[in-house]
Amino acid sequence: MTYKPLRPLVLAKCLLSLSLAFQVSLQAAEQPLDGLSEKDFLSDMPVILSVSRLPQRLDDTPGAVTILDRDMIRRSGARDVADLLRLVPGFQTSNSFEGVAPLASYHGGFDGFSNRIQLLIDGRSAYSSYFIGNVAPGMQAVALQDIERIEVLRGSNSAAYGARAVLGVINIVTRHTGDTVGTRASVTAGENRIRDAYARVGWGQEGATYRLAMDRRGDRGLAGELGASERDNFNFRADLSPDASTLVQLRAGGMQINSGRGIPNDAGNPRRDSFFSSQYVQLDWSRSLGQDSDLSMTASRTQELYRDSFPIFLKQLRPGRLRPGLNPALIFGANDTVTAGFGGTASNDTVSVQHTFRANPELRVVWGGELRRERVQSPPLYGSGKVFETDFTRMFGNAEWRMRPDLVLNAGAMAEKSSDSGNSLAPRLMLNWHVAPGHTLRAGVTRGERPPSALEKNTSITYVLKSSIFPIPPIPFKFARPSPDLQPETVTARELGYFADMPSLGLGLDVRVFSEQMSGFVTQVEEGVTRSYVNGPQFSIRGLEYQLKWRPWSGASVGFNQALIDIGSPIAGESNAAPSHATTLMFTQKLPRDVELTLIHQQSSQATFQAGSEINEQGIKRTDLRLGVPLRWGANRGELAFVVQNVGAPYQDYRPIFSFERRAYLTLSFEH
Amino acid sequence: MRFGLRCLLLGLCLCATAASVRAAPAVVIVSSDASAAYAEAVQALVGELVQGGLAPADVQRMTAAEFAAAPLPPSMSTPKLFIALGAQAALALARAQPQLPAPVLCALLPRSAFERVLQLSGRKASAQFSGLVLDQPLGRQLSLVRLALPQTTHLGVLLGPESKALAPTLAGLAVARGFNVVEANVDQNEPVFTGLRQVLEGAQVLLALPDPAVFNANSLQNILLTSFRARVPVVAFSPAYVRAGALLALYATPAQTGQQAGELALGVLRGRALPAQPIEPRVFSISVNAHVARSLDLTLDADRLTQELSRSEARP
Repeated sequence: MTYKPLRPLVLAKCLLSLSLAFQVSLQAAEQPLDGLSEKDFLSDMPVILSVSRLPQRLDDTPGAVTILDRDMIRRSGARDVADLLRLVPGFQTSNSFEGVAPLASYHGGFDGFSNRIQLLIDGRSAYSSYFIGNVAPGMQAVALQDIERIEVLRGSNSAAYGARAVLGVINIVTRHTGDTVGTRASVTAGENRIRDAYARVGWGQEGATYRLAMDRRGDRGLAGELGASERDNFNFRADLSPDASTLVQLRAGGMQINSGRGIPNDAGNPRRDSFFSSQYVQLDWSRSLGQDSDLSMTASRTQELYRDSFPIFLKQLRPGRLRPGLNPALIFGANDTVTAGFGGTASNDTVSVQHTFRANPELRVVWGGELRRERVQSPPLYGSGKVFETDFTRMFGNAEWRMRPDLVLNAGAMAEKSSDSGNSLAPRLMLNWHVAPGHTLRAGVTRGERPPSALEKNTSITYVLKSSIFPIPPIPFKFARPSPDLQPETVTARELGYFADMPSLGLGLDVRVFSEQMSGFVTQVEEGVTRSYVNGPQFSIRGLEYQLKWRPWSGASVGFNQALIDIGSPIAGESNAAPSHATTLMFTQKLPRDVELTLIHQQSSQATFQAGSEINEQGIKRTDLRLGVPLRWGANRGELAFVVQNVGAPYQDYRPIFSFERRAYLTLSFEH
Repeated sequence: MRFGLRCLLLGLCLCATAASVRAAPAVVIVSSDASAAYAEAVQALVGELVQGGLAPADVQRMTAAEFAAAPLPPSMSTPKLFIALGAQAALALARAQPQLPAPVLCALLPRSAFERVLQLSGRKASAQFSGLVLDQPLGRQLSLVRLALPQTTHLGVLLGPESKALAPTLAGLAVARGFNVVEANVDQNEPVFTGLRQVLEGAQVLLALPDPAVFNANSLQNILLTSFRARVPVVAFSPAYVRAGALLALYATPAQTGQQAGELALGVLRGRALPAQPIEPRVFSISVNAHVARSLDLTLDADRLTQELSRSEARP
C-alpha cells in the first residue's frame, strides 16, 4: 500500500476555489423579488425539517444518553474531548499521550487503548483501526470550540452503529458553518508549559457557508512522562444547499500528534519521540423527498500514519526481561541493539446510504447500508509488509413505533459481514413507557458482536538478537504471535432506565441499571515474552449509574453523576478495569456582570490503569475551578478565563510513575 | 323518437343560454388565475351566496385575463358587486375603464398588495373599492404566541422593507402582552443571515411577518434550520410553512376568505355598504407541526388552540 498524504495547502486551494464557484452559481440563480402578494400566503413551500432532520427526543431514545453542549464544554475549562468525558457517568479518562492520545473508555479501560466504543464526528467514524483499535486519536481531531455538542450513547449500540459500538458511542456534532460566520481566536498559556491556540474564520452567504479552523494543544505532559505532547489539527467544513430540499456538506481536515514516549530507566521502552497523523475528506448529501421521507448518502476517506521506532540497547535490559534467569548484561555488548517500533499506516474508505421515512404518524423507520474497506500495514507489528485489507458490508434498520401515545418501541438490527471474520447480527429491542408527563421508564435488551481487530488476530513481532561478545548464532525472540483462532467477542446487554424531565423544578434525571454479559472477551496473554490474544472466560459488567441535572436557583446549575460498577471477570486486571465507585460534580454559577464560576469535583475508587495490569492504589480525587469574565468592546466579544485543574494533590494517571499535577492557565478568546 | 328527444334537449339548452345572456349576474367574481386556491375561495364564496338566496346563475366567474380581454360584455352592464380574488384581479378591476358601475371588494390579497393596487390605480379605499385582506391581526398573532408558548418573554421578528411599517404597532401590542421584541432589519437583496443570528441570540420565539424580502422559498431553508438548531420555534402565516417545518401558523384558508367575502357580498346585495377601510379576517385556522412540536418538547393541539383563541377574542 502506498501512503499519499493530502497536502494541506493544495487541499485548501481546492476548497477555496470550490467555495467561490458555488457562490458565483448561487448569485447567478438569484431572482429579483416582487412585492408581497397572496402567493406568499398560499404557495406551497419545500419541506425543510423533514423526518430525518428532527432528532429523536431523549425520552424516546432506545438507551441512556448524556449530552455535553457547547455551553457546558466552554464552562468546563477542558482542553480536549477525553478530559470532558470525565463528566459522563461510567467513563474513565486519562491525560497521558502514551496511548497515542488521551484515552476515554466506558465501563472499563481494559488495555492501553479503547476499542469497545465507537467514535463518530459528524457521522464519520473516527475509530482508528490502527493498533488494537482506538478512539483516542480521533478525539483530538476536532477543536473543542468547533463542537456544537457531544452525544454519548451509553450502553451497547451495535444495532445502530456496528461492531465497534459494543459498549457505547461518542457522537461529536460540530457547529454548523452558518453559526460560525466571522472570526474567532483564542490563546491559552499556563503552568506545565501549556500553550494552546485556536483560530477560525467563517464566511459565506445564504445557501453556502464555510469554516476553516486550526487548533493547537501543547503541554509538557504528565509529571514523569518523557517529553512534551503537541497536537495540531485543521478542519474545513462547507454547508451548501443547491436547492431548498437538498443539503450538501463537504468536510476535510488533518491532525498530527507529536509526543514524547517511554519510561525512565526502561531500556525496552526508552525515551523517544512518536508521531501520529491523520487526514480525512467527507462528502454528505441529503435530500428531503417530502415531509415523511429523506434520503442521505455519505462517502469518506480517512488515513493514518504512525511513526514510532527506537533502538533497544540489549545490554541495558533488566535481568529476566528476555527469559527467566537470563541476564542480558552478561550476554550483549554495549552497542548491541535491535530496532523496535510500532509504526505503520492505515486507511478507511466508506460509502453509505440511508433512507428515513415515516410510514404513518406512529411509525418512523430508518434503514440503509454501508460498504467499508479498511487497510492496515505495519512491518514492525505484523512482521511483513503485507497489507491487511478487510471489507465490511452492513445493512441496518430501526423502527420507532409509537404503539400508544405513552408507549414507544424501538426495534432495530444491524447485519454486518466482514471479509475477515464472517457474519454477525446485532439486534435490539427497547420499550419506553411515558408513565406520566416528564417521566419515562425504559427496558430493553441488545446484543453486539465485535470481531477481533487486524492486530489482535494477526500481530507478529519477532526480534532477532545478536551478541557482539559471544560468537553464538542470532537468537529469534517472538514478542507477539498471530491468534488465528480468535473469535468475535459478544456482549448481551440488558438495561432498565428511568428518565425524568421536570422543567418546573429545573430538574432532569437519567438512571441506568445494566447488566452487560461479555462472552469470548478478547484479552491479551503472555507466554514468556510472547504476547497473543485469546477469548477469555465469560463475565458480566453489572451496575447502576445516574446523572442529575438541577437548576437550584437563578444562574446556577448542578450536574451530578455517579457510577457503581462491578466487573465480574476472574482475571484480576480486568475485574478492576473500572472503578467500583465514581462520582463527578459540576457546579456553575453566574455572578454579577455575567462572570461565570465553575467547580468540578471528581472522585473515583482505585482501578487498573488504562495501560493494563497494574492496579491504581490511589484512585482519583481531582477538583477544578474556572472563572470566566466576559469581555465586550463594540461589536466584538471575548472572554478571559482562569482555570486551575486539580487544585489538590497530584494523582496517578496511566502508569504509577506518571501523575497529574496542578495546572493553572489563562485563556483569552476573541470573536468578531 | 330518439331524434325527437335530441331536438327537445337541444331546444332546452338554447333557451337556457338565451336566458343567461339576457339576465345580468348580480355578482361578478374575478380571480387572478384558475389555480386551486382561487377555485377553493370561489367555491366557498358561491356557496355562501347561494345559501343566502342567490341563484348560481346570478354569479359570473372569470379570471383576470378573461376580464382584461373583455372587461364589460353587454350582458354585464348592471351587476351589483364585483369581487376580485387576488392582487392581479384587484388591479384589473381597479384599472377598468370606464370605472366599474358597482362596488368592488378585493379579497384574498395581503394588505400591502391592496395598498399597492390603490397606488397604481390612483383609487382610494372606500365603500366603492374595499378590501378583505389575508393578514391576520397582529394582536391575534401575539395572543396565539402567549397561548401556545406561555413562557415566552422575548419575541423575535425579522423586518423587511414591507413589514418594517408594522414595527411601531407591534411594539405597542407586544408590551401590552408582556413580550420584549427582539428585532432585526433585513434590506432588499440582503441575506437574512446576519439579522437572523442577531434575533435568535435573544429571542425564544420567531414570529414570521410576511415580507418576500425575508420569507421566501430561497431563505426558508436557512431560517427554519437555523431556528431549529437554536431551538427557537417559528410561528408563521401559512400552513405551507408548517409543513416545511414551522411550529405553528395562524392564517385564513381560501375557503374561509371566500366565505367571509360571501357574507360581505350578501350585505351589499341587501343594501349595506362595504367597509370603507380594508378589514382583516374574522375567522382563522391554526396549524401545528406535531413532529416539530415533539422534537421541541412541546405538546400543542391545533383545535384546542383555535377554540381558546376564539374564546379569548369573544371576551369583552
